[in-house]
Amino acid sequence: MAASLYHRAMAIEQATAAPVLECRDLRKSFGDRVAVDGVGFSIGQSETYGLLGPNGAGKTTTISMICGLLVRDAGSVLVGGAPLDVNAVAAKGDVGFVPQDLAIYPELSARENLRFFGQLYGLGGADLRSRTDEVLEIIGLADRADERTDGFSGGMKRRLNIGIGLLNRPKLLVLDEPTVGVDPQSRNAILSSVESLGQQGMAILYTTHYMEEAERLCDRVGIIDQGQIRAEGTRRELVSLIGQRDRVDLAATGPLVAVAEALRAMPGVNEATAHEGGISLLVDEARTILPRLLESAAATGASVNGVEIVEPDLEAVFLHLTGRALRD
Amino acid sequence: MRAALIIAAKDLRQRLRDRTAIVVAVIAPFGLAAIFSTLLGGVEQPLDLAYAYADLDGTQLSQGIREGPLTGIESAGIATVTLVDDRDAARAAVEEGDAQAALIVPAGFESAVTAGAGAELEVIGSIDAGFATDILRSLAESYVAELEGVRLAVALALPGLDDASPAAIAALAERAAAIEPPITVADLDAEAREMSTTTYFAASMAIFFLFFTAQFGVLSLLSERRQGTLPRLVAAPIRPRSIVLGKALGSFALGIVAMAVLVAASSLLLGAAWGDPLGVAILVLAAVTAAMGITALITTLARTEEQAGGWNSIVAVTLAILGGAFFDLSQGPEILSQISFITPHAWFLEGLDLLSGSSSSVVDVATPVAALLGIGLVTGAIGLARAGDLVVRR
Repeated sequence: MAASLYHRAMAIEQATAAPVLECRDLRKSFGDRVAVDGVGFSIGQSETYGLLGPNGAGKTTTISMICGLLVRDAGSVLVGGAPLDVNAVAAKGDVGFVPQDLAIYPELSARENLRFFGQLYGLGGADLRSRTDEVLEIIGLADRADERTDGFSGGMKRRLNIGIGLLNRPKLLVLDEPTVGVDPQSRNAILSSVESLGQQGMAILYTTHYMEEAERLCDRVGIIDQGQIRAEGTRRELVSLIGQRDRVDLAATGPLVAVAEALRAMPGVNEATAHEGGISLLVDEARTILPRLLESAAATGASVNGVEIVEPDLEAVFLHLTGRALRD
Repeated sequence: MRAALIIAAKDLRQRLRDRTAIVVAVIAPFGLAAIFSTLLGGVEQPLDLAYAYADLDGTQLSQGIREGPLTGIESAGIATVTLVDDRDAARAAVEEGDAQAALIVPAGFESAVTAGAGAELEVIGSIDAGFATDILRSLAESYVAELEGVRLAVALALPGLDDASPAAIAALAERAAAIEPPITVADLDAEAREMSTTTYFAASMAIFFLFFTAQFGVLSLLSERRQGTLPRLVAAPIRPRSIVLGKALGSFALGIVAMAVLVAASSLLLGAAWGDPLGVAILVLAAVTAAMGITALITTLARTEEQAGGWNSIVAVTLAILGGAFFDLSQGPEILSQISFITPHAWFLEGLDLLSGSSSSVVDVATPVAALLGIGLVTGAIGLARAGDLVVRR
């Protein structure tokens, strides 16, 4: 937990220092329908940025313009400072793209799929061989590398789909709803992989309509709806928009009233109430303050048996901003 | 170009693993060519007819039959004619199987002709040799009809010859006698330019199925879009036109390989004679270009793979019928032959016809090759330009 928080703090710091991706005022219409209307954000090194919104919000259209798949009506995209559009060969080489669909060839083996896309990204010879082997290890398919992928399970295909996006050691990895239609076990494996990649220094743009994925993975989240970014920031910043605080319930025994009074005096604690079986607190940032809460409770004679943190989530933020639930 | 070659190589690998493609590209056309040439190619075997001939008249006219049409079919190597003494001998020859049919010139034949009475030749045919009998009857009827024509001409000329000199009359008689034989059998010498039946079916099935093989390239853009791999190709650091070029190269290579296998297999296994190898190679390249161009254009007009496949099939069958890939258009009205040259099939088959002579060379197929390339380049340019819009969404 502490490592993750440290990583997030570092990521945000690096994001502001030197953005890997900077897109401004992206606009796209299909006929009379405005799909993306002035979207702009930036992502720094080691930062995972989430585009959170319901289906049809404009997430895929936005990343299609960012990856050079779609000719934009207006706006700019810079990757590593270089402009990226449909014909920007060099800039595209810094981006790894994992589409929502399983973009693999069923007639080819996992290794052949990787080699093909590796070649398109300019890899060759020993570098291609070693990178293919590395990626096969990363995605856990080394022992099935030479089997045709039409015999793979859905989870294996998903892993290969992500692996192809990693081949070129991208500065920016773009994942478009990579867990749609995935079983819980594979989903968890994918989320762990993305977390790991972010910690290794990769800038990640992650689109999802799953609030819990955005909360777990993303250092910052842009809430997108009807083609516009409605709000952007860390989870804490977004939650603060709606004025809600984290609640921490400590299951404890001991001098609970005295303990509650001591905890209430701590910075970041807004309210602490003793009740039968424990203490309930309203705090600014539960995950940050929790170690100190437990330390202080123990120091004042309480024996803590359990902890429950209830944080206002992004679902509530989305509802507050748009008047609709994420899955509407 | 490197990216295009990588994509083409990947497409070929996919196609080779997809057995349907191999069936469409090689097995089906070869199989159908073999079946058609076996079923319909029997008439191609050299005729070996046996006739008996009895001259009971012994006149100049009856000699003319022997020396004219009968000698002609013997010289052509399609029949042997045995002279017999009388009607009974002729009948016996037919009944005993020594001859398939007999022609008898009855006594008084010349007299009847010159007197203007009905002249009659007798044909005796074996019940088991209707074809041979028909040929002999046809020869006889033609000869009699021609004689009748000459007789009428002379009869019409005679009233005006009352004052003519004997020399003029003799000259007229000589000219009548020297009239062209009623039946002429042309020598099918080495310069005759016509494909064998086996070659025709091999070539027509090859060009027919080429239209299904050639469509794989641009059609695979639609399938890549459906299966989600197209965005990944576009996201790669390559120019979008490399994707289209790669698809075209893959399709072109597959078409060439399929045609080469068919040419080789039909030559070795069916005995097809395609002609000068260089000329055939150039003709095949041009035909593949034409097929690719047309299928690329058709495919880019469709919105889905299924729609494109359906439209391409309709176009392939229609062009094949119009182009004479299913039956010889020379058997039909002249207008059909003329219309056929809007199709690559007709030009391809025409090119092979031109190459079928023993001294034919690549120069002979310049016009068909130019026509095929013209069709391919015009339709292909439009098709590939449209294919670019399939790759990059706008």
